[in-house]
Amino acid sequence: MAYTNNKLNVVFSDGTLGLGGEDFHYIFSYERGGLESMLIQGKEWLYRTPTPTFWRATTDNDRGSGFVVKSAQWLAADMFSTCEKIELTVDNEKFDQLPIAPYNNQYNGNETAETVAIKYTYKTNTIPSTTVDVTYTVTADGKINIHQRFQGNQDLPELPALGLRLVIPTTAKSFDYEGLSGETYPDRMAGATRGTYHVEGLPVTPYIVPQECGMHMDNSKLTITRTTTQNNADNNPQPFSLSIKKADKNFNFSALPYTPEELENATHQEELPPARRTVLTIFGAVRGVGGIDSWGTDVESKYHISAKKDIDFEFNIEINK
Amino acid sequence: MKADIKWLDDPEVFRVEQLPAHSDHYFYQSKSEIDHQSSYVHSLNGTWQFNFAKTPQQRPLDFYQEDFDATGFDQIKVPGHIELAGYAQVQYINTWYPWEGKIFRRPPYTVDPDHLTPGIFSEAEDNSVGSYLKKFDLPKGFDDKQVILQFQGVEQAMYVWFNGQFIGYAEDSFTPSEFDLTPYIKKENNVLAVRVYKHSTASYLEDQDMFRFSGIFRDVNLLALPPAHINDLDIKPVVNEDFQSGVLNVATKMIGQKVEHAKLKLSVTDADGQLLATQEQASAEKVTFDQLAFSEINLWSPKSPYLYNLMIEVIDENGKTIEVVPYQFGFRKVELRDDKVIYVNNKRLVINGVNRHEWSAKTGRAITVNDMQSDIKTMQDNNINADRTCHYPDQIPWYYLCDQNGIYLMAENNLESHGTWQKAGAIEPSVNVPGDNPHWLEVVLDRARSNYELFKNHTSIIFWSLGNESWAGSDIAAMNKFYKDHDDSRLTHYEGVVYQPDLKNSISDVESRMYEKPENIIEYLENDPQKPFLDCEYMHDMGNSLGGMNSYNDLVDKYPMYQGGFIWDFIDQALFVKDEVTGKEVLRYGGDFDERHSDYEFSGDGLMFADRTEKPAMQEVKYYYGLHK
Repeated sequence: MAYTNNKLNVVFSDGTLGLGGEDFHYIFSYERGGLESMLIQGKEWLYRTPTPTFWRATTDNDRGSGFVVKSAQWLAADMFSTCEKIELTVDNEKFDQLPIAPYNNQYNGNETAETVAIKYTYKTNTIPSTTVDVTYTVTADGKINIHQRFQGNQDLPELPALGLRLVIPTTAKSFDYEGLSGETYPDRMAGATRGTYHVEGLPVTPYIVPQECGMHMDNSKLTITRTTTQNNADNNPQPFSLSIKKADKNFNFSALPYTPEELENATHQEELPPARRTVLTIFGAVRGVGGIDSWGTDVESKYHISAKKDIDFEFNIEINK
Repeated sequence: MKADIKWLDDPEVFRVEQLPAHSDHYFYQSKSEIDHQSSYVHSLNGTWQFNFAKTPQQRPLDFYQEDFDATGFDQIKVPGHIELAGYAQVQYINTWYPWEGKIFRRPPYTVDPDHLTPGIFSEAEDNSVGSYLKKFDLPKGFDDKQVILQFQGVEQAMYVWFNGQFIGYAEDSFTPSEFDLTPYIKKENNVLAVRVYKHSTASYLEDQDMFRFSGIFRDVNLLALPPAHINDLDIKPVVNEDFQSGVLNVATKMIGQKVEHAKLKLSVTDADGQLLATQEQASAEKVTFDQLAFSEINLWSPKSPYLYNLMIEVIDENGKTIEVVPYQFGFRKVELRDDKVIYVNNKRLVINGVNRHEWSAKTGRAITVNDMQSDIKTMQDNNINADRTCHYPDQIPWYYLCDQNGIYLMAENNLESHGTWQKAGAIEPSVNVPGDNPHWLEVVLDRARSNYELFKNHTSIIFWSLGNESWAGSDIAAMNKFYKDHDDSRLTHYEGVVYQPDLKNSISDVESRMYEKPENIIEYLENDPQKPFLDCEYMHDMGNSLGGMNSYNDLVDKYPMYQGGFIWDFIDQALFVKDEVTGKEVLRYGGDFDERHSDYEFSGDGLMFADRTEKPAMQEVKYYYGLHK
């Protein structure tokens, strides 16, 4: 199929929505509740559908202050929140229902669009429950704008973290970012230097007890580079990359080989499993690490993440030409 | 004298036949030996014969006798910890005593104020014993000289025999102990026998938050003393009110058979080697040099650690130099002024400090000069200008390195009795020692004296710290008084008096607190504070931490009486172990040796990981500490 008109090719399948362009193809799943495939220049970038993340592996200070006891339900939300609603908008036309059979029998396979937006609404299994909307807006150049909105609720405990987690099938060889030097947090970033940094591999900061680590605050761009895929027919060892760019504001991220739960479960570095994936999380809100003591004093209040208010953030995934 | 195992049970026996504490100066036979090996010093480090007994009852009783057959003994490396040699279980524990949950003990003379507790340590199931043997011939050049045996650090109580004779007993793990071997020394086949107990009443005073080790863990030396020897050197540089000129007072104490026949030649050169002063004095037991005046001085500071070179030559009656003692000193003035602010060299002091345990992931507290130099570089690279030697005196070279590289020192005594007064955070001092207890007074005073006498000439020391987390009472007040009686050039520090406001006038020149919240510090500083404020421990850098340092930095900017603090702490305490699953070298922490009770990962609070790589938080330290260099 030729792409001559600079439009998205839209595949109205029965279980998914496909969006294609010259060097990309995305599959938005209705049954899995999220973006299932992000194929860019022949390389798959998603292992499972991205999910909102609410947890960070407990730091010594979070343990000592009792924060994790108060906020423990966010761990369950991090692992078990479910998608309960999907809304599709094609060129500003909002669908009343998802275009699956028989509705999609009207199509012929040549459908195109300028812009497609798909919104997944996740419901947390917290008490009370709240929702998180993740909206992917795809344009013909392959750019995906991802906007996430957390619905605040007066009765919810403070959040350990709020972000969107993208698990990438294989480990990154390196990543490059435009932001701050080193590992930074809202209450520990004054000493960082702004610049462009290259990081080999996916380093896990070797705190004696594995815990939240590797945060990078306030970035305008991130490029992740891999050389491997899980595709058995792909023997091309050439490096390939994906870029995250800021949308309205700079973004925060960590790129680690582990989920917060994997880090949480290890009491020593050597207990962490062999690194297999890239766990890229873009954070809309980051809790400070604190430091006054490690046995009772909380992080300073201005570096908490209140769950009472709505939290919005967005970023873009762009195709490197 | 005969050794008595009951000394282990008695807080009033802590040094027997030990030579008095004195300054830590190096001495050489000639100037050409300086910066090389002194021919008066012979190291006994290396492989020793060793026997490990789990309890005192199992120790080889007569191992010190000259005809003892030690063929059944193992070999051990000295210096080193017995635990890391694989004989005894490694244990990390914070505030509790290491026997928590295993043995019921109360400190002697507390519950029963009039009696000892017989066998409390000498018959204890948890008191393992290392019996060390070292055979040696008298080194070349040591004949006809007084020969001293010097241990730089032995944990925790030690009995020493030499050629079958008992020659002394020592406690205080982190302080040198010296014994005179001269009456018993032979040209060949000398047998040194050292018995080291893991516990004694000193255990109550050495409850620091650390891995609990035992053994000969610092250098062992033989010292040959020339017939007129500078045993103690007391250098007192004084900066005049104009901060441009100064005077120097020097005194020595001499020992040896020919003290009365020698003379002392003193010289002072500047950092470029320019000769500034010379003076000769006849030798005597005590020599006080005439005060030397310097019209223009370079002040010592962390930014510019300018040191002058003092040298004293001891010249015998034939005009031959028999001893050379070099010592570098600096001019700096520490003042606590009427405005209740500490000034150094006429500038408000701002401590950009860290607490530093001596630590190596491979060898525990048996660290090398390379480790120390690496630590100095890390401090300098990150604008750290001060070190609290938590919570014991460090190895001697550390103090020289701090003089040379401009690191302020808070020189702390070997004292922490945390488990006698704080129980899982709650304050319950019913069996606190030393407290006001007369039976525990002399031992803590001795620790103050040793710390002072050993390190008194180090320019970098601006505070003497009485100890850590030991509650407060008249005994600690007596330690404070000792320093006040001996040294008007430095200030005293102690945090534990916060619980005893009545003693604030007699303990500590500063209001010192640990982990105090910024708002509480403000409350102190805004309500008629009587002393300048220091955080002796703050910014607890356990794991991923050190957030919010700005709130402390704001205090530096806002309150002159807020004089900074010491981050807890410099390096994680963790040990390299070969992982039983992967075979890789991994870092293990408290509780990883099956030891219980433990305080687990609380051992890892450093700005550096245990392998001496910096944690990511270090850039934050560098930034904030760079604002007030």
